[in-house]
Formats: sequence, structure tokens, C-alpha cells
Amino acid sequence: MNTVRLYLRSMGILLKSQLQYPLSFLLQTMAQLIMEGGEMLAVVLLVDRFDHLNQWSAGDLYFFFGLMSVTFYITECFGRGITGSFPSMVRTGQLDTLLIRPRGILTQVLCSAVDPRRITCIAVGIVSLTLGSRMSRVDWTAANILLLAESIFCGFWLILGLFLIEAILCIHSVKSVEIANALTYGGRSACQYPVDAFPRSLRTLFTVIAPFALVMHVPASRILGKPIFGWPDWAAWLSPLSSFVLFAIMVFLFAKAMRFYRSTGS
Amino acid sequence: MSYIHVQHLSKRFQTRKKSERRSLRREKTTIQALEDVSFDIEQGELIGYIGPNGAGKSTTVKILSGILTPDEGDALVGGRIPWKNRKEYVKNIGVVFGQRMQLWWDVPILDSYSLLKDIYRIPEAAYQKRLSELAEALNLGDLLRTPLRQMSLGQRMRAELCGSLLHQPEMLFLDEPTIGLDAVSKLALRDFLKWENREHRTTILLTTHDMEDIAALCPRVMVLGPGRKLYDGSLQDLLRHYDKARTVEIRYDRDESVPDLPESVQTRKEGDGFRIIYEPEKLPTAELLSLLQQAGPIREMTVQPQNIDHLIADMYREMGL
Repeated sequence: MNTVRLYLRSMGILLKSQLQYPLSFLLQTMAQLIMEGGEMLAVVLLVDRFDHLNQWSAGDLYFFFGLMSVTFYITECFGRGITGSFPSMVRTGQLDTLLIRPRGILTQVLCSAVDPRRITCIAVGIVSLTLGSRMSRVDWTAANILLLAESIFCGFWLILGLFLIEAILCIHSVKSVEIANALTYGGRSACQYPVDAFPRSLRTLFTVIAPFALVMHVPASRILGKPIFGWPDWAAWLSPLSSFVLFAIMVFLFAKAMRFYRSTGS
Repeated sequence: MSYIHVQHLSKRFQTRKKSERRSLRREKTTIQALEDVSFDIEQGELIGYIGPNGAGKSTTVKILSGILTPDEGDALVGGRIPWKNRKEYVKNIGVVFGQRMQLWWDVPILDSYSLLKDIYRIPEAAYQKRLSELAEALNLGDLLRTPLRQMSLGQRMRAELCGSLLHQPEMLFLDEPTIGLDAVSKLALRDFLKWENREHRTTILLTTHDMEDIAALCPRVMVLGPGRKLYDGSLQDLLRHYDKARTVEIRYDRDESVPDLPESVQTRKEGDGFRIIYEPEKLPTAELLSLLQQAGPIREMTVQPQNIDHLIADMYREMGL
């Protein structure tokens, strides 16, 4: 419980820091809006031209896009320590100052940064999600709301886990941004669209290795009433939990990497 | 047993560099950062750790504060092994890096401190007591609501010290704490360290290049060469061995007067006088004086011991560093 409190208080302090520079904050937030608005425009144009993709209607596509935006940017906002600042902490030796405090390294890394500028990206995602659910006439039963919440929550840990790959590689001082980005940013760009739109190899990648499909597309398709892969109901509830498996593996590898860091130094 | 017990500590780093132009292969070179270093420190001691850049001072501090694991050797600090059970161990130590800030940059330092209170799980009452005590000793009262970024370097160092001592550690490591500080800030910092050491029997190990720090603070000093311990004892004993030369500055009434001195004495014309460096053991001062007087009437003359930094430079040179 103390850890949650520590995280919340850290967030408070960090937000206070960011608001020390209000103009810069405002401008960057606007820039984020333009960026993510552009991403959504791509979907709008696609829908305008083709009006459906396989069995997915325009509304469904907005829904998938919105789900990814909301999840991905919530992660970038609250997981900024891992998704953004970790490599520079290793490079500058700032990581040492975390090692001398009696708390877990990942906890402290998560507590060390937040990125509230992403709020506009999340807002775009919410707009798209709402629009999509209206157009596809989603019935917002308690079960559907819960399923959506589960999907976003599990998606947070999935994306965080994928960003941990970059963290692990950079401890081993490997320049590897491209490899890691293929799964994180690449995963985001690809899985804005339902996974069955892709050839088999990519489908496997985003189901088995970076399970965006299991965490987002399976429950989302259930909410839209068109279960993907023809999977049963319970699968939609169970499959998002795969993100915890991935996250646990990454945490284990991260701990191993930290042992390496402590025996080599910087 | 002593509070810090270090035996046969060794640490190697591997660095890679390109071996030749155009070659993609990188050559691995091993740097022996520490080699068979042993020492004991009692609780409540204040110890200076000196040596040229790259001697392994920071590596020692990093190992003893649990950031690095050594390749060989043992270390016990307060009965615990620093690199085992990190979270349990670091509760009892404080570390200050002179060139690396640990507090949050953009918020008042009081906010940083209250976050540290949560990180170290310090009870409210103990925190308040300790904070007011430290704020007074470090003269931070007016600064508590100032963000770190608006502070001078000296103020920042005081703020950092306060932050790393809030949880009342038994042991304090300081890695070049006076680097870049002005004279007033240095004096204040030294006074504070003496106070903390006396009031709470906090064991303090500091690395420095500033010999004044050592002279003012540390009854005991350890000298580290590239990886090896070269000396361990009092500063006076260390200097006695190297402190042999004296400098004489002399001016004559008449400009044409030139003293005729033996070869063991360095003589240099400086301005309208001379700078003479001699060793009283080789040439007794009385003899030097009579030689100087033979050259003509002396207008003024000063005799000075050598600068402490020169002594250390001589010492490093003699030790082959």
C-alpha cells in the first residue's frame, strides 16, 4: 500500500514540476493533439474510401483505433519512467542514485517520470472509442464495460512489458532502439487495426510474441459482438491476462540485467 | 570487529575500443580499478580518501554503497555485505555524489524531503525532529521552499546533504563533496560534517582532491594509487616524509647582487628578487643565510613551507602515479 502512496505522491511532485513551465507544457500538449489527430485522420480516410475492412465496419475500426490510442498513451503517460527516461538514466549514471535507496528499482523508475502531455492523445482515443461504439451500436452492459476496462488495464502492462525490452538491452549497453521499437511503436501502429487484417506471420507475432491481439482485439471484438477467430465468450475474459505473463518474464529478465549492471558498473 | 572491514577487494572493468582504423573489431581492454585493497574503519571515524583521478576512489565508494559488486574480496559494513540484500543494506547508509543531484530539480526541496520520508519509511515524528535539526545545522531554513534549480551550487550541496541524512544513516559516503564550491561554502560544509560526526557518531568516508578538506577534517587519510592502497595513516605522518623543502623569496637593496649558492639549491630570478627552494636537511638554514648575506645587503625576505598541493603532487610522482 505504501508503494501505491509513494507512486501517487511522486506523480504529484512531478506534475507540479511540469507546471513550472506552463507555456511549454501547453504547446507540447497541442503538438501531441495534432500528431494523434493525424493518426486518426488516416483511419477516417480509410473508412471513407472502403467503408469496411473484412467483416469490420467503419464503427468497428474507430473502436479498435480508439482502444489502442487510449491504452498506449495511458501507458506512455504513467509509465514514462520506463517508456521514456530509462535509457538516459543508465547513460548518465542517474540509475546509481536509485540503487542507494531502499526501494525496488522498477518502482523507483516508474515513480521518476510522468508525461501529462499525452492527455490530448488519450482524449483523441476516447473520442474515437465513443464514435466507434455509437456507430456499431455497442450495448454498454456492465459486462462490456468491465471487459473494456480489463482490456485497457492489461494493455498497460503489456506495453510496459514491451518497453522493458529496450530497458534490458540498454543495460547491456546494446544500441537496439530499432529492434525494441518494432514491437512497441510498430505494434501500436499495426494493432490499431484488427489483427486478422494482416498476413499470417504478423498475426502470429502480435498474438504469440507481443500479444496485442489477445489483450485488445479479442475482448474488443467480443464487445462489438463479432468474436475474432470465432473464440468463445470466456476466452475474451481470459486472453488479456496473457499480458501479465509477458510482463512477469520481462521483470525477471530486467532483474537479471540489473545484476549484470551491478557487476560491471558504468 | 571494526565497523567497516574490507579485505582483498578487487574490481576489473572491461572497456572496448576500436583497435585500428577501418577495422570493425573492437579490442577488449581490462582496467584493474581496484587490486587487493584492504582496510578497517571503526565506528565514528572520519576518513579522507585521496588519490589522483582514476585511482579507484569512486569505485570503492560504489562497492561499499552497494551499487557495484566486486570481482574478489570481502567487505562488511556494520555487519552486512553491501552488495547482498541491497534494500535492507542501503537503509543504513547515506551517499552524496558531488557531481550528481539526487533531489528533484523543479520542486521546493521540502517536497523532495517529504518524498524521501516515504521512500525510507521514516516515522513522522522522527522526520520532523531530524529535519529541523539538519535545517538548522545546514542553515537551510529560508531555502526549504525554494526549488533546487534556483539555488547556487553551495546551497544545492547543503540541500543534498540534508536529503541524504534525513533517515539518520550510521554511515555516510561522500564522493567529492566540495568540488566547485567557494571558500565560504567549503568551510560551512566542513563544519557541518564535523558536527554530524560528533553529534551522531556517524562514520564518514569522503573522497576529495582538496587537501584543505583533509587537513581540516580527517585525522586519518588513505591514499589510493591506480587500484592499490599506498598509504593509510595520519596526514601529518604522510606529509613529514615529503615536506622537506622550503621556499625563500628574497630582494636585495642593489639590483646587481646575485647570491652564489650550491647546486642542490634551485634559484630563479623572479621580478626584482629571487625565489630559492632549498632543503634544510642538505643545506642548513644558517649556512644558506650566510651565503645569501655575502651577496649584499638584504632588503626583505620570506621563508615559506611548500604548498600542500605541491606535496601531494610530489608524493604522487614519487609513488609513480
